[in-house]
Amino acid sequence: MTPTRRTLLTAAALAASAAILPAGPARAAKDTIKIGATLPLTGAEARIGGFYKEGYEYAFEQQNNKGGVKVSDKTMKVELQLLDDTSTQATAVSLADRLINSDKVDFLLGTYATNLVEAQSAAAEQNQMLYVNGGGAASAIYKRGYKWVFGLLAPVELLADSMMKWVDEQQKAGKLPKPAKIALLWENTSHGKDFRKGVSEFAKKSGGGYQVVVDESFELNGKDFSALLGKVKAADADLFLADAHLPDYITMHRQYVTSGMCHKMASYGARGSEKQAAEALGKKNVEYVLSAVWWSPLLAEKSKLDKEFVDGFKAKHKRDPEWYQALGYETARALFVAIEQAGALDKTKVREKLAAMKIPSILPGGELTFPAEFGQQSHAPFVVQQNQPDGSAPIIAPADSATGKGIAPNPNCGK
Amino acid sequence: MQRFTELVVFSVLLAGLYATMAYGLGLIYGVLRVVNLNHGGVIMAGAYLGWLLHEKFGIDPYLSIPVVMAVSFVLGIAIYRGLVRHLPRGPAGGVQSLLLLFGVWLVLRNAAYLLFTGNDQTIRTEYSTRSIAAFGVALSVNRVAVFSIAVLSLIALHLFLTRTFTGKAIRAVAQNADSCTLVGVDVERIYSLTFGIGTALAGLAGVLGATLFSFNPSYGSGDLLKAFVIVVLGGLGSVVGTAAAALILALVEGFAIYWLPAYLTGAVGFVILVLVLVVRPGGLFGQRVLG
Repeated sequence: MTPTRRTLLTAAALAASAAILPAGPARAAKDTIKIGATLPLTGAEARIGGFYKEGYEYAFEQQNNKGGVKVSDKTMKVELQLLDDTSTQATAVSLADRLINSDKVDFLLGTYATNLVEAQSAAAEQNQMLYVNGGGAASAIYKRGYKWVFGLLAPVELLADSMMKWVDEQQKAGKLPKPAKIALLWENTSHGKDFRKGVSEFAKKSGGGYQVVVDESFELNGKDFSALLGKVKAADADLFLADAHLPDYITMHRQYVTSGMCHKMASYGARGSEKQAAEALGKKNVEYVLSAVWWSPLLAEKSKLDKEFVDGFKAKHKRDPEWYQALGYETARALFVAIEQAGALDKTKVREKLAAMKIPSILPGGELTFPAEFGQQSHAPFVVQQNQPDGSAPIIAPADSATGKGIAPNPNCGK
Repeated sequence: MQRFTELVVFSVLLAGLYATMAYGLGLIYGVLRVVNLNHGGVIMAGAYLGWLLHEKFGIDPYLSIPVVMAVSFVLGIAIYRGLVRHLPRGPAGGVQSLLLLFGVWLVLRNAAYLLFTGNDQTIRTEYSTRSIAAFGVALSVNRVAVFSIAVLSLIALHLFLTRTFTGKAIRAVAQNADSCTLVGVDVERIYSLTFGIGTALAGLAGVLGATLFSFNPSYGSGDLLKAFVIVVLGGLGSVVGTAAAALILALVEGFAIYWLPAYLTGAVGFVILVLVLVVRPGGLFGQRVLG
């Protein structure tokens, strides 16, 4: 072989190998785990999408500060590829498709809001992509038999159940009448339907302890609730239990207060303790309102893991995290732990580790699992809070997480 | 009986806001034959402007009404002169104006998302949760104020259209623009003025609504739909018809809760809309011309 031919063949071989081997940046990507996610950073859910972003980013930062995720014998950095799904289902689905098929991410973290998670998780399942989310609570998402979808938000039925358990304790202590008449209002969404189911089933099982005298749904972002509240007033109920998003809570409770109603116990489901609501309605008007949420920064008083998270987040953002950031953080952390446990980036192995997961958690109850009987949806308990006259909203249940004592019946009624 | 009285009173109070939301839309369509899809956007902008004036300068939302209406009026004139004027009108230009004004609405909404984020906002005053007793019913001070302002503004508008030269010119242009040109009415000026007044009324509806409800950049879309129902029910261009249609809609929505699940009461208005379009396409009170 002449030197010229040899040179030419060598050049051709090099060119061919250059075409086959991955380019520089892609080769570098082997040292990082690429995790894709979309969040509603603009549009109707932008505010909460921004909170989840803070949670995700904080989790990634913490993990990388520790060196990364240990995969078998090497430690790999984690990289978040975050896109804005504009609070719309179609965009959430098409971006998930892009992250999986074009950007070739290793795993997916979920978006926020039930409708977006519902649509996006179907795309993940079709592509057999591991999808861990902390933004979809409706049990309907997890009743579809999906194998690749895991959820950290416990169902809203459990929210209602947690709240009713505390109410029941008050009834047993003779502070509330028996039977207690319940006026139940719920927004006409899967969130509201789950709430209704939780309250109704508790009432049924109570053996006559509770009687639902009003059972009505309303449209999300409603304008006028006066006719509906008139029905509640006429029913002369003891407990007013509604499930509403923040704008409806503010509008409805303003009309509730001006109509002169006062129930022995009132709740708007997950809403109630928000500073914004107290500003919009007046502190006095939201006193003794009950709420139940997936997480509270007050848990830091009870658990070391929560304290580490709250302190770290506070140092970075100069404010307390809310449950949105906590759920974003915990969702990402659950995935990191599963990858470490699997010791590989193999999706099937990581999926198996998530399915069998039982780890200490910042969530109430202190443990994170994805029970198969609930479609791999976490059933961590809720924390029940009650607004107090001093503006605080301590955790009043469950007992092992309580930071204060609840009051029943509402002492403001009849004043 | 007490429950009946309550529902009637609440419905009457709500009807005032409904009428204010609707009349700007009806006025613009009656004169220009343009369906102003940006009406919802201006309602949202009016709510934010009232909120800004209250938050930044501590101006009571009801005292900010002249400012909100003036800004909305100028915005309306700018939209007309800068955009709508260049489009064909009537059936020929229907689709273009619909698309254009829908586009303006999207721009306004997204500008609000950029400026104010998607956070829900509320206007809270000392009297936000105060109530007075009348007819044996606890009435929200805010609702009574909104109703009173709505009625006053509709009376003022009716008087303007029937008693002033400009008002009569607006009605004349609505009847026959070509003849108006022959007798020396500056039709373009009237169109511009009408678009401004219609937009100012949307701004008024926005600030009034903001005193009662929380809002965010998508606020106004539901109001636009209700406004359509009222305008069609009342007959395009009739102040009295609009007020009556607003009352009918509010009463029907209020009383429907006796027979229907609460979440369906909002749909009752649309069922009536379809029935009226089939049985009396000119509206319940016929096609009157702005009076």
